[in-house]
Amino acid sequence: MNVRVGVFVCNCGTNIGGVVNVADVVEYASQLDGVAFAEEGKWICSVDYLSKIKESIAEHKLNRVVVACCTPRTHEPTFKSTIKEAGLNPYLLEFVSIREQSSWVHKSNPKLATEKAKDLVKMGVAKAILLEPGEDIRISVGKNCLIIGGGLAGMTAALAVADQGFKVDLIEKNSKLGGILNKLDTLAPFDIDAGEIVNDKIGKITKHDNIKVHTNTELEDVKGHIGNYKVKLGNNGNTEELEASTIIAATGMNEIEPQGLIGYGKFPNIITQLQLDEKLRSKSLGKVKNVAIINCVNSRNEERGCCNIGCLVAIKNAVTIKELNKDAKVHIFYRDINIEGEDVNYFKEAVRKYDIKLIRYPDDGKIEVFGNGKNGALTLKTYDILIGKEFKINPDLVVLTTGFQGDSTVEKLRGLLKVSANPDGFFQEAHIKLRPLDFANDGIYLCGCARNPKSIRETIEESLGAAMRAGIPMKKGYVEAEGIVADINKELCNSCGLCAKTCEFGAIEFVDKTQPPNVIKALCKGCGTCAAECPNDAIDIVHYTNEQILAQVDAALEERPETKIIAFCCHWCALGAVDIAGVSRFEYPTNIQIIRVMCSGRVDAKFIERALELNAAGVLVAGCEFPTCHYINGNDKCKDRIERLKKKLSKKNIDTSKIWDVWLSAADGPKFVATVKNMVEELKLGR
Amino acid sequence: MSKSVLIIGGGIAGIEAALNLADYDFQVYLVDNFPTIGGLMARLDKTFPTNDCSICIEAPKMYEVQKNPNIHLLTNCEIRRVNGTEDVFKVRIVKKPRFVDEEKCKGCGKCTEACPVSVPDEIDNKIGGLRKLAYIPFPQAVPNYYLIHPDCRYGKMKDEGACIGDCIIDCIQCRECPIALCVKACKDEGGDAVMLWQREELLDLEVNSIIVASGIESFEPPRGLYGYDVYDNVITNLQYERLMNAGGPTQGEIVRPSDGAHARRIAWVQCVGREKREGKPEPIPYCSKVCCMIATKQTIVTLEHGADAKAYVLHNHLQTYGKGFYEFYRRAKELGVRYLKGKPSDVFENPKTKNLTIRFEDLDKGEVEDLEIDLLVLSTGLIPGNSNKRLSKILKIELNEHGFIKEKDPVNAPFETNVKGIYVCGGATGPIDISESVSQAIGASMKAAIEVSR
Repeated sequence: MNVRVGVFVCNCGTNIGGVVNVADVVEYASQLDGVAFAEEGKWICSVDYLSKIKESIAEHKLNRVVVACCTPRTHEPTFKSTIKEAGLNPYLLEFVSIREQSSWVHKSNPKLATEKAKDLVKMGVAKAILLEPGEDIRISVGKNCLIIGGGLAGMTAALAVADQGFKVDLIEKNSKLGGILNKLDTLAPFDIDAGEIVNDKIGKITKHDNIKVHTNTELEDVKGHIGNYKVKLGNNGNTEELEASTIIAATGMNEIEPQGLIGYGKFPNIITQLQLDEKLRSKSLGKVKNVAIINCVNSRNEERGCCNIGCLVAIKNAVTIKELNKDAKVHIFYRDINIEGEDVNYFKEAVRKYDIKLIRYPDDGKIEVFGNGKNGALTLKTYDILIGKEFKINPDLVVLTTGFQGDSTVEKLRGLLKVSANPDGFFQEAHIKLRPLDFANDGIYLCGCARNPKSIRETIEESLGAAMRAGIPMKKGYVEAEGIVADINKELCNSCGLCAKTCEFGAIEFVDKTQPPNVIKALCKGCGTCAAECPNDAIDIVHYTNEQILAQVDAALEERPETKIIAFCCHWCALGAVDIAGVSRFEYPTNIQIIRVMCSGRVDAKFIERALELNAAGVLVAGCEFPTCHYINGNDKCKDRIERLKKKLSKKNIDTSKIWDVWLSAADGPKFVATVKNMVEELKLGR
Repeated sequence: MSKSVLIIGGGIAGIEAALNLADYDFQVYLVDNFPTIGGLMARLDKTFPTNDCSICIEAPKMYEVQKNPNIHLLTNCEIRRVNGTEDVFKVRIVKKPRFVDEEKCKGCGKCTEACPVSVPDEIDNKIGGLRKLAYIPFPQAVPNYYLIHPDCRYGKMKDEGACIGDCIIDCIQCRECPIALCVKACKDEGGDAVMLWQREELLDLEVNSIIVASGIESFEPPRGLYGYDVYDNVITNLQYERLMNAGGPTQGEIVRPSDGAHARRIAWVQCVGREKREGKPEPIPYCSKVCCMIATKQTIVTLEHGADAKAYVLHNHLQTYGKGFYEFYRRAKELGVRYLKGKPSDVFENPKTKNLTIRFEDLDKGEVEDLEIDLLVLSTGLIPGNSNKRLSKILKIELNEHGFIKEKDPVNAPFETNVKGIYVCGGATGPIDISESVSQAIGASMKAAIEVSR
């Protein structure tokens, strides 16, 4: 079929038309190869004009559409649905931004602004000619959830998933559900018995038809992806296989024994906070008269951060000791009290009512405990920074509030689930702020102390949240992804597996070096990092193919390449900064021609090389500032790639001073403008 | 038929709850008092402990809200009345006039260009940002419609040059405006979207459940506290956030309000709002959790901007409770930030240089010290949103002693208020960071979804 491109150029009232000679651009567009129809409109996003676009598609038998107007960041969905209504595949649209990238930023030079608008339209048409129909991708998702870990988080999530009508397999490596709560006495700040909560949850779980509990069970193997996990469970040497649609990791945490610290291990009456909880729970503490609780042992140091819950636990157990023996002396040695919000009341009230002594010791952690020879009696010595002198007591029990680490199974699970964890064995969420309960891989979620130490309240909140995250695809029955995905050419592929390692979303299944990997399209986010990294050029990205991007480069540099800078901008922050420069009407030189990619990770070295071969004045790669990347770390990989390219070119004696990069936030309009101005100046351009 | 939910508040918690419930096939009515969603997060420059750009990560979610067919976005709206039982709540909403027809506004900004009147931008306060009377709150605003200040009607801004000619007719009667420049500018663009005669509208809805995500506010220090509002170079942490922002009034330059010079020595005072004065109780009787990390973030960004800058943080209990927080604090220390235990007893200004001297007791050394600086940042705490009281009356939900919305029982009935079918999440529950707000919003959505489907 012949390619017939329709070009619609917007005046945006006078926003574009007041600077750019729109009629001229339309005339120019109509002469371009492949263009069957070109027209201007006052507001091409208006309802009237959108129907006109639909009529024109029918009348002129258009099969590709280029709109030249504002920014794809706000208006792409509108035009996509319009051409879809006209019967065209929505992937056959190319969006050209002549307002943000020309009329608004080259106001004082209408002639050059018009030239640039023409170039942008030409680049758009060049790409449009090569566009292919795409389709949204769907995988069906069933209604079974596997929950790993039967502590409070796992149990709470299990009940919430089951209450939605989905089936749950809840696996627990120990013989009893309850996790760390099975060792705790009471729960702060609510003064609830830990055992009671566990029994209550176990009761509800046992009665629930939708939950199957597997105790003494560990995960042996996981294959597949969201909607279709094949899971192998191990139970004392027996294996069981089952299927799951989604997975929640609620593997909890363990206390780190502070071997060799502050006399731990040397004296029997130096114990950890968790050991104290166990003694209180089993009522086996015995009579103590003088208790020293030391906070921040083995945490808030170079190895690990704050344990989050230690201050609250310390005060809770201090209260219990006082309730057992109101004459006992209890000192809490602390660095900073990390008790916030409402819990401050609980803390203050406890300190006041039970006369608990608080001693602030220095951040360098100087506390010495030694035996004083009298049947197990200890001496504790430190410096009280509030009084400003040495402080000494003779406690009969020393309790160390120590740090935590993720469960010992995390090391294995990390590999099985293809997710990351930090050195302390806590799982890494997809984004610490905005996707706290997701992993980067769709279909797997996390909650509670598997992320980092959590209070009871936070654990419950997160567990409900994880049940929602897992519940959404099961409720819908499918997951859907945009059709901008990786496509592997199996003939060019030599099965090296680099793409699978590069992908942060687990979207590439690599079995071994005997067969090409497979893209799980519904998981692919379309960043294109794998395509840019592939040593054999065997991967392409639908809608951002090598051929399409190179066609844009070629079109941009067809005339007067020595005056032009080709800029590859990511759709998110870099284009955001370009748009802000536009909205703020910051002027910058017209030399820059922007090519949009979804992520800077997509920018292949050969795109840059092609621009240089065609004698471009310069190349700018613009991505999200670090550490923000909408595809986790595509910007990092791009930056490394640019460095490698520069080294390679230097060896060939090719001048690399034309290759620039800039890493922007979406508010960085001024920085983008400054970069363009610098480039123009340093590369001695000017038209 | 799909179930419906009303979400009150379009900050990050409301946005997250809306997106999750919309994906769960709920009809979502997302109501915000302000003309745009985004909440407090949209006003921040960076987020701790990763220094992600705040609007860069929030704006894509805001666009998703706008695109989602299950979400009905009601900005510039207020809840007026709620009646109902646990199954169906009848809600009356007032849509305040924007004086711009949302169906006709193309977001082109010609009205702003035409408007001759600039006023201080609410979000920039004393650091000098201005906005026009015809404006959008910020470039990434969702929805991207402009609005006109109510004072622009009745020819009131004529003396400011906003109108040509006189008018004595009531705008509401007139229904056209031949004199306002913004109206003319829009018409010249072929738009005709500015309607100074717009009136408030009433909307009635029926929903199955309600999530209160009305957010939290930053405490405004009283005049004189550490020299605030008396000395030029004393600002709050929220104002500092705008100073750091490349899109802010100084384009990210850290300059002093007094003379526009770059600030080289900057100190942060923590726990502002927790002072007991003249026998009065503390204005904020709880720890606001996030201010220590906000200060840490601000010092890191400052030192990364200008390597010769010096940063001091005067603190009491340093809150490093969350994942990666302590590591973040260590990074600041490695960059050279000096953390000093102690609270200023006094702040003096040098009337000539406008530099400030802080007098404080360094608890580590046990000595009183004087520290001379160029700029003082008050790390103010977080206080209940000013709509909490009104919402508590309208929804018949209880507040806690501090004025936050009370959760009935965080262990056995998380996110529930005392009214069945009404849930709470995010800053409305108390001081909270973005990550926890998001987790709570998702959790509260789950609660609402399960209860409604029962």
